[in-house]
Amino acid sequence: MTSTLVEHFFRHEYGRLVAQLARRVGLRHLELVEDAVQGALAAALDTWGGHGTPHEPSAWLFRVAHNNVISALRQDANRSRILDANPGVDVSAESAARLASEVHDDLLRMLFACCRDVIPEESRIVIALKTLCGFSTDEIAHRLFTTEASVHKRLQRARIALRDLGELEPTHDEMSAMLPSVHHVVYLVFNEGYLSLRADAAIRTELTDEAIRLATLLAEHPLGARPETFALLALMHLHAARSSSRTDASGGLLLLEEQDRSQWRPDQIERGLTWLARSADGATFSRYHAEAGIAAEHSIAPSFAETNWSAIVELYRLLDRVAPSPLNALNRAVAVAEWRGAEVALAELDAIAPPRWLEQSYLRDAVYADLLRRTGRPFSEHRVRAIAGAPTEVIRAVLQRRL
Amino acid sequence: MSNRYLFLHRSSGAPSAPSERSSPEQMQAMMAKWNAWKTRFADNIVDWGDKLKPTGRVVSGTTISDGPFPEAKEIIGGFMIVQAASYEEAAVIAQEMPAGPGSVLEIRELAGAKM
Repeated sequence: MTSTLVEHFFRHEYGRLVAQLARRVGLRHLELVEDAVQGALAAALDTWGGHGTPHEPSAWLFRVAHNNVISALRQDANRSRILDANPGVDVSAESAARLASEVHDDLLRMLFACCRDVIPEESRIVIALKTLCGFSTDEIAHRLFTTEASVHKRLQRARIALRDLGELEPTHDEMSAMLPSVHHVVYLVFNEGYLSLRADAAIRTELTDEAIRLATLLAEHPLGARPETFALLALMHLHAARSSSRTDASGGLLLLEEQDRSQWRPDQIERGLTWLARSADGATFSRYHAEAGIAAEHSIAPSFAETNWSAIVELYRLLDRVAPSPLNALNRAVAVAEWRGAEVALAELDAIAPPRWLEQSYLRDAVYADLLRRTGRPFSEHRVRAIAGAPTEVIRAVLQRRL
Repeated sequence: MSNRYLFLHRSSGAPSAPSERSSPEQMQAMMAKWNAWKTRFADNIVDWGDKLKPTGRVVSGTTISDGPFPEAKEIIGGFMIVQAASYEEAAVIAQEMPAGPGSVLEIRELAGAKM
């Protein structure tokens, strides 16, 4: 009688229910909706524990959460007016199929709401993780390496902004204009999971999986089915496919050339390449295209030595054109060193005056130390500075081992 | 396995603050623990019982007052009937039961007087 729930069922139901109910009663009641959904999950915990999971757990949760919302709104005499204007939906009359078909729209509407320009930028990722991914404030704090108080503050700012926004739905054109901001938030969620070396692997995978889930949602909807979305998905799949080989058994960081390529997941690389092919359409070439292209070159290379370095050098040049950053030159130099040798790479780097922040960065020292070492010149000054400036112990260990 | 025991779940009635509330993921983990416990002791559970609402009435002769006893620090939040060979076995079942922090389980053997 007791069926096992799929992994993250409660968390994803949370996101689905908040999106559905917020659409019905309006974003200004977001907090009330979140409480109602939380209450429904708690009720499920009590009831399902004893009687087993119902046949249609999602419909059960929707019914309870919906009732919770209605009674919470009724409790407030002022708010009861919106019930008259927007009479409670008789859930029993709605078919499960209809509910399922609107879920997609509701989730996307919520994702766009989280990326509205009235919400401060640092609040967007937090409200998205809370409402769409069902993370609690302390789980978010844990994942973004900040305090619970700060997460709470950022959430409140987002909720106030959404409340003051009114209920005017953005037009199709307005939503299209918001796409870059939506892409950016999804990209941030992914990078928090992918780049962070501070959290354990399970937590990092959760964030990258969530980012892929949101981007897939976007790609499957006419509004978001754009080359940039496909490129973003390609990039995330191609990185995620290789993530398990980035660390050794003791959690130490492995460089690309040290990684065991047999650990890379061919099915996910395949998926990434499929999205990349779909992204090669239309006139846009975004930073996601360039980054996905670089990841793809690494993914299909049989070995480090056999990597198509000239293609990667070219992609870094294109990346710098659409998303200029002095870091691109540094990364490109690493590829140039493999392609045409360390001397050429050094000459290219020497020709560029780095901004002060990069000049003082451990990354630049690490690249210089490596390139100088490979040309047989003294490099210890850079080595010492790189190791001293390493932001984490894991990175320090790699530098000590490799330089 | 002939004895039957009443499990009384006692907890302080104070509702937990929002920050102490479980996340969806934690609730799912808790449910998985419950299901594992239920499967393991399926033969022992006679009656799954129920949770009790926090309201109540205390009737004493002609006096009816609101209850449960307001002075009590811990109120009974739920009950369950379990069969076991002895108090020792019943206590093991109780100890293995997933429970929130600060909750106390009282075990009383049923006398069987009305059977």
